[in-house]
Amino acid sequence: MTGHLQADELLMIVSIACYILGALALGVYFFSREEWLRNLGAPLAIAGCLAQFAQLIVRFETTHIWPLLNLYGSLSLFAAMSVAIFIGFAIRYKMWFAGGFVLAIAAIALAYGVTWNEGTMPAVPSLQSYWAKVHVPIVVSSYAAFLVAFVFSCIYLIKYYAEARIAVVESSVELAGTGMTMRVSGDTPSLETAAASGNRTAAWLTTLPSLAQLDVIVYRAVAIGLPLISLGIITGAAWAKEAWGAYWQWDPKETAALATWIVYLAYMHLHTRNAWRGMRTNWVSVGGFMLVIFTYLGVNIWISGLHSYKM
Amino acid sequence: MARARTRVLISRSMLQARSTYDDFIRTFGSVLFAVSLFLVWGLLTLIGVIVDQGKDAATYLASYPAPVARAIVRLGFDNIYHSPWYVGIIALILTSLAVCTFKRVIPARLPALRPVKIDKIPLHASIGVRGDEARVRARIEQFFRSRGWHVRNRSFEGTEWSFADKFNWARRGVLIAHLGFVIIAAGTTVYWARGFSGDTAIVTGESVEIPQTHAVIKLNDFAYRISPILTKSGMVYQPIDYVSHVTVTGNDGIPKPMTVRVNHPIDIDGTLYYQASYGFAMRFTVTHNGKRDAQLSDRIVAEGETIDLPGTHTSVGYDRFVPTVDRRSGMPAPDPRVNDPAVVLSVTQNGSNAGSALVPLRTWIDAGSGWRIVPAQYLLFSGFQYRYDPGIPLVGIGALVLLTGLIVSFYFLPARLFVRIDETAGACSVGLAATTVKGYDIFETQFRELIEELKRAMDPPESRTDFSPVEAF
Ligand code: HEM
Repeated sequence: MTGHLQADELLMIVSIACYILGALALGVYFFSREEWLRNLGAPLAIAGCLAQFAQLIVRFETTHIWPLLNLYGSLSLFAAMSVAIFIGFAIRYKMWFAGGFVLAIAAIALAYGVTWNEGTMPAVPSLQSYWAKVHVPIVVSSYAAFLVAFVFSCIYLIKYYAEARIAVVESSVELAGTGMTMRVSGDTPSLETAAASGNRTAAWLTTLPSLAQLDVIVYRAVAIGLPLISLGIITGAAWAKEAWGAYWQWDPKETAALATWIVYLAYMHLHTRNAWRGMRTNWVSVGGFMLVIFTYLGVNIWISGLHSYKM
Repeated sequence: MARARTRVLISRSMLQARSTYDDFIRTFGSVLFAVSLFLVWGLLTLIGVIVDQGKDAATYLASYPAPVARAIVRLGFDNIYHSPWYVGIIALILTSLAVCTFKRVIPARLPALRPVKIDKIPLHASIGVRGDEARVRARIEQFFRSRGWHVRNRSFEGTEWSFADKFNWARRGVLIAHLGFVIIAAGTTVYWARGFSGDTAIVTGESVEIPQTHAVIKLNDFAYRISPILTKSGMVYQPIDYVSHVTVTGNDGIPKPMTVRVNHPIDIDGTLYYQASYGFAMRFTVTHNGKRDAQLSDRIVAEGETIDLPGTHTSVGYDRFVPTVDRRSGMPAPDPRVNDPAVVLSVTQNGSNAGSALVPLRTWIDAGSGWRIVPAQYLLFSGFQYRYDPGIPLVGIGALVLLTGLIVSFYFLPARLFVRIDETAGACSVGLAATTVKGYDIFETQFRELIEELKRAMDPPESRTDFSPVEAF
């Protein structure tokens, strides 16, 4: 038993270490774009993530208790899912440069989660439900997707305001002289001119994807998070019905999740409007993530309810 | 003359009604208005998270500055989810949803096939292909069909257009998602109109008749299992199981034994009964000058109830059950299992509190004037919630529909390509433009790749001639 527990703790240390080192490597890569940093950071992210899932499995195998039903387990799944979703985006859309932020937040979440580790404890009766077992991972995965959206929204806004300072004018390019035009959502000509004429900020900004591309990434991350949080609320409601008789009790946790759902719904609707797509929708995504943090941790810490893990 | 004036008046009032109607449609048909409604809905929801719900006015006065507390009560924020604001905002959202569906979503998402100005659409390209129009069109059609596009040709004022659609069916995703929301709203309304809920506590050995259903439930026994677990931050008493054994008599009049535990409700004639709580009721032996008062002594007293002593201005309140008293300190211990039980009793004389005491079972307190009170026996009671909610199937279906709509909306991007072919001297210029329901950025990479592929397919290296198509990128 003790031996196994040590394996679980060892895996936890390995993942935190991988995340910290990976965050450093990819954090520097964000600014410098030295290939070797990405080649170092990416495997560290993958290794940390695998170690985390292994840790959760080992914990379940040794205790036979679903490891996600307390804040320690759920934060650790949150970190693992954030990194996993990010890795998906990084591979699919070549977005490793954002990894430093995701890994840093994952490391903080994990380290904070460890402070809530109370050892092994069987679940209280209301948590002994299959709904609870699927509800928690779904909700936590939606938060992880929103974290990835948040990170790309921040990068979007950094680029947006930095570009504005470089006094960039318009972003659509006419391929004049070719007899043919095509929208190219690349960087604006003035940004490229500024970069060519030695403006270092401009040069760095051109290494980031265009604003339009970043916006699409945020949209795609929210498009993962919103169905997941919807499903999370639905499974939560099914569980509440089984445990407390009513599928909706207006308990602070579920209500805060509803508010979060509403904000991301607002994001999605604003995103259908050309005039709002971009800077404003990205602020909504940032605000939405603040609400995620409130729902996830704030409600547990400040407001007690049926859902508080210490029930 | 009079008739003419009446006609003018009528048409003026009709005009006014018409413009009010137009204003209504314009406002409720705007997405930004809908989003503003969402944000108000979100804000009200959050107020309910932060302000404790369902407490009495004194609680708010104790936790907030007086003007805030008064505002909370006056605005109904103490029961916000049933306040007119909350119900009203949801009604406005549903109205806006209905208007948007007909005025905006259907026209925008299900547009008719129409020609466009190719170069006015941000995603566009044109390529040159040798051959006459019919052959080029056939090859282009073949190209798109083989990649899963649905191709349709239409002629507009003598010009032939081809339209290629992908995931055209998914244009209905938004409608499905919206429909899901409406079904959920309908399901919750059914509960409001026809459902009910309540709670009851039954002491071991006693029966209760549920007022709404007339079902009779007798609690045969209640058991709890609590495990002490040593954690890093100390001893925690973790509840493991709560079980009520009951005998229920429903509409058929036949008593049946049943077991209720947390997460395992029982169903009596369509109403569900849930294990919700438990607690300790008490029997006190009450004596006056050494003589047992039979009436008071037979009474079962619940936590929070009082015993008024006849002929005096004194009452004794049963405040709280303490399952375990720490033997060394004589104070309540955290163990919720019954080891050394006691009760907290408070004495009120002439309306003012005369003190309270922790009284172990089978010991006594003197309440003055010859009255003596002995906490004689504790009786476990089991708390049940019950609920009849005929809206549940609708809410469940609505949730699934909503989820399906979200997945269709987010993962199947309907795109339409407009293809126009102009032939001049044995060569064709093929103009293509693409629109999607989510703007252009999201489709840009795919469009670029598609055009590259099309160029390669239309102009394979082996068939290249002098004709040089204009480079697109
Ligand atoms: C006041 C209530 C609502 C109104 C007026 C409204 C209106 C709209 C409109 C006009 C669109 C855009 C159609 C387009 O431009 O093609 C849209 C999109 C959408 N709506 Fe709603 N909607 C409302 C509530 C909801 C709710 C409660 C849901 C949740 C299920 C929802 C889910 C969606 C989805 C998934 C989209 C597609 C977004 C995208 O494809 O990016 N809507 N809505």
